[in-house]
Amino acid sequence: MSKGKIAIVGIGEVPTGWYPDRHEWDIIYDSCMEAVRDAGIDKNDVEGVLCSPAVGQPKLDSELVFGKLPEEIGLKGCKDIASVNAGGATSANLLRMAEHWINSGIAKIILLMHATKYSSIDPNYLIQTFATAGMSMEWEYPFGTTYNGMIAMATQRFMHENNITAEEMASIPVAFRKWAELDPNAMFRKPLTVEKTLSTRMISTPLHSMECNMLADGGAALVVTSPEIAKKICKNPVYKLGEGGRYCQATVTQRTDDLMARMYREAAAVAFKQAGLSIKDMNILELYCAYPLLMPVLLVTLGVCKDGKEAVRFIAEGNTWPGGKLPCSTIGDALSRGHTGSGVGFAYLVETVRQLMGKAGDRQVKNCKYVMMNCAGGSGMNMIFEIFGRKL
Amino acid sequence: MSEYIKPLPVIKPWSKKFWEAARQHKLIMQKCNDCGKLIFYPRKVCPFCWSASVGWTDVSGKARVRTMTTTIAGVEQAFIPDLPYVLAIVELEEGVRMMTNIVECRPEDVKIGMEVAVTFRDCTEQISLPVFKLV
Repeated sequence: MSKGKIAIVGIGEVPTGWYPDRHEWDIIYDSCMEAVRDAGIDKNDVEGVLCSPAVGQPKLDSELVFGKLPEEIGLKGCKDIASVNAGGATSANLLRMAEHWINSGIAKIILLMHATKYSSIDPNYLIQTFATAGMSMEWEYPFGTTYNGMIAMATQRFMHENNITAEEMASIPVAFRKWAELDPNAMFRKPLTVEKTLSTRMISTPLHSMECNMLADGGAALVVTSPEIAKKICKNPVYKLGEGGRYCQATVTQRTDDLMARMYREAAAVAFKQAGLSIKDMNILELYCAYPLLMPVLLVTLGVCKDGKEAVRFIAEGNTWPGGKLPCSTIGDALSRGHTGSGVGFAYLVETVRQLMGKAGDRQVKNCKYVMMNCAGGSGMNMIFEIFGRKL
Repeated sequence: MSEYIKPLPVIKPWSKKFWEAARQHKLIMQKCNDCGKLIFYPRKVCPFCWSASVGWTDVSGKARVRTMTTTIAGVEQAFIPDLPYVLAIVELEEGVRMMTNIVECRPEDVKIGMEVAVTFRDCTEQISLPVFKLV
């Protein structure tokens, strides 16, 4: 995949929230129609549809896999449809697939979509789904693993190695919330403090409930095409300029001490090299963290901070907040935005486009030229960095 | 033995011996007969050199706590009676890491770096889970 072979020309999003009375296809209609209208194309210009998995929703997933979408919403020019599942790393993989479809002539204009509706699913079923998704059924699950527990253990180790306090860690959800306060599509928007975070219920030490994400409903869609077509039909297309990914092992016990740090650095280096840019060029880091831990880890990976301690301080001092030196995670991450399964990467991708198109409202970062985002699957089986910009 | 309601390991053909030994309260590891490396979790072939000649070796069962969490809420119903429980990653003397529980202790007493030793939780007539206790 080389530089600038794909452009995003339209976005649509249903705010992340809790909609027990709303049908999942209602979310799909609204997000897809909004993206097509935003792109200024006719619905029948869409030649391909690529779906992300509906994690934990087998019925919806099956409907998407077996091609319901183009028929349901009447995309009469659709030539083919497929689903791509890479867990939390799906958004980047859908873009890879779209790039291939476009460059090999399978389809000129493609609709990418994600939809999730958890609010009408039994909470015990959801807990079980996420306790087993991406976990080893033989070597992890029998011991009572949960995602909260997995990240809690990694957080404990990070705090131990870097001499970080609970108060310092609690500044990270606060940093996320500063952005969510400005985001009409976020689920939790009330101002948050370190004290408030630490006063919430302990879920899995050292994580309080305010440091764990909440499952939510939501949907997003993007219209993508070649740069050549994008220039003709869109006044401010967003181009993918670089991308790098690395696999890090599926089971946490298989990840040796330096493996993840090394793989993360390699993935980022590949993305920067392909884009011909450096961390200093980035106006925003859309860091998909899901929990507080990954934010300082990624700031170290990307060379913004020299170690975990410095990274946590960098966050606590407000450098990643609105108006800060280096805006990060401008949708408030899954902690404030709500966690829509494989959809958080989508929410970040839509936000990346919004910021680069200058449509981010109160969150708009001025003169935003380059944005880096990341996504990862499972409990961290891989890491993908992508760089987007307004110019090729 | 009262009925065990928590999930049991879903066992692959090549890990059967591990679980048979665990039922006898013995911790064993796969070892490649060609490259000599210890293999955990068990594989059909050695993941380092793809040798099909993989055997088994006893390990000490001595380990250190690499990291841990006290699980307090947000678990499946089957685990609720166990709350709070300590979920941990331990590193065996031999260098292998395992997901496990630290048992027979107050959760707040478990710290990173502590020495632990294997013990076994008898779940069913066939399955005993290797868990660890502080030494």
